[in-house]
Amino acid sequence: MSLSAKQEKGISFLDSMTGHILSPFQNLFTQSVQSVSDGINHYFDLVNVSRENERLEFEVERLVNEKNALLERIFRQKRLSGLMSYKEERKKESLVATVIGRAATQWSKVVFIDKGTQHGVRTYSAVVTNSGVIGQIIHAGPTTSKVLLTIDSRSAVDSLFQGSRVSGVVVGTGEKLCKIKFVPNTAEIKVGDRVLSSGLGGVFPKGLVIGTVSKVVRKKQGLFQEITLAPSSDLSNLEEVLVFLS
Amino acid sequence: MYYFAQILIVIILFAIQTTWLGMCSIGGVVPDLALIWVVYCGVHCSRAMGIGSGIVIGILQDSLSGGLLGVNTLSKSFIGFFFATLKDKFYVEGVIPVAFFLVASSLFDGLVFYFSMNTVLKGEVASSFIYQSLPVYSIYNGIVGPILFLLFNQLNNWLRAKTSDPYMNPVK
Repeated sequence: MSLSAKQEKGISFLDSMTGHILSPFQNLFTQSVQSVSDGINHYFDLVNVSRENERLEFEVERLVNEKNALLERIFRQKRLSGLMSYKEERKKESLVATVIGRAATQWSKVVFIDKGTQHGVRTYSAVVTNSGVIGQIIHAGPTTSKVLLTIDSRSAVDSLFQGSRVSGVVVGTGEKLCKIKFVPNTAEIKVGDRVLSSGLGGVFPKGLVIGTVSKVVRKKQGLFQEITLAPSSDLSNLEEVLVFLS
Repeated sequence: MYYFAQILIVIILFAIQTTWLGMCSIGGVVPDLALIWVVYCGVHCSRAMGIGSGIVIGILQDSLSGGLLGVNTLSKSFIGFFFATLKDKFYVEGVIPVAFFLVASSLFDGLVFYFSMNTVLKGEVASSFIYQSLPVYSIYNGIVGPILFLLFNQLNNWLRAKTSDPYMNPVK
């Protein structure tokens, strides 16, 4: 018993001594092995993370595109619902068309739409948006048509002022604004007056908004006022339009 | 092959002009790719090709812009004829000469339109056209033109390597 007790005491002392001496090395080796192992594991993890990241980037890109497509669809839906409610209000046979191109020169203000004679579009049909008149068809092909905008220098629309019922002719200037000709100096016209189509000429139905007066100049000499008109629709950013078929 | 490629270039230019180019507008003014092409053909191609391209491009522009009774045909034909006939009398190489001749051609093109509309066609062109739109249009063409000239040169050199057209002048 005493021997075994002595032996155990000696072993435990030796053990603890060995443990004390070895433990730093053991720790060192364990840590180094651990760090190498961690490094290898992390490397493989990083490879996986990199792949995952790549996949997620693709996913984000896809979702962004999808979101843009959905937003675009919502905006288009809003524009179309505006056009459709306008169409229902007017109770005229009409057709929604998409603008597919613009004039080939700087000086003419013409747009191309994706509807033609196959869809019932005819030359001199009125083209509008829910904001008002934008122009008329000057050439109808089988599947596409050419629309002369009201701001084109060759365009002229017979019109009348909503309040005073004075008539005039809205002519394009090739720029963003139009002019109203043949309004007598005696007529009471002020900035902000709305101008409507008069229905004369047979192209535009009566009462469609063409624009609002933005400038009035009364000359002392001369018979007519110089009136500038801002079109009701933004003619530089047309996307969908309504073509009156009858 | 060569003429087919030329037709393809014209189609692409017109497609860009009538669709995407609106996104690059400055105050509603966009460069005229067709005009730049006519000047390019007048300078770098044969005489017949220079004049022919002016006439064809002008007719196409007229037909695609509602028929201005040939205003574009008139101006583009004259520009094509001018460069095709007189290209040996002056030097149209390098950025500044190209930009200068494009600005001059654009001014001429705009003035032909302005005077035609105000006299023969009795249209209503805003007076701001002369001091706003026309200078911007000319300068815009003068800036975009040299870049397009470089592009057309590359394209023509590539085409020349692919085809051996006797009517085509070497491009420096």
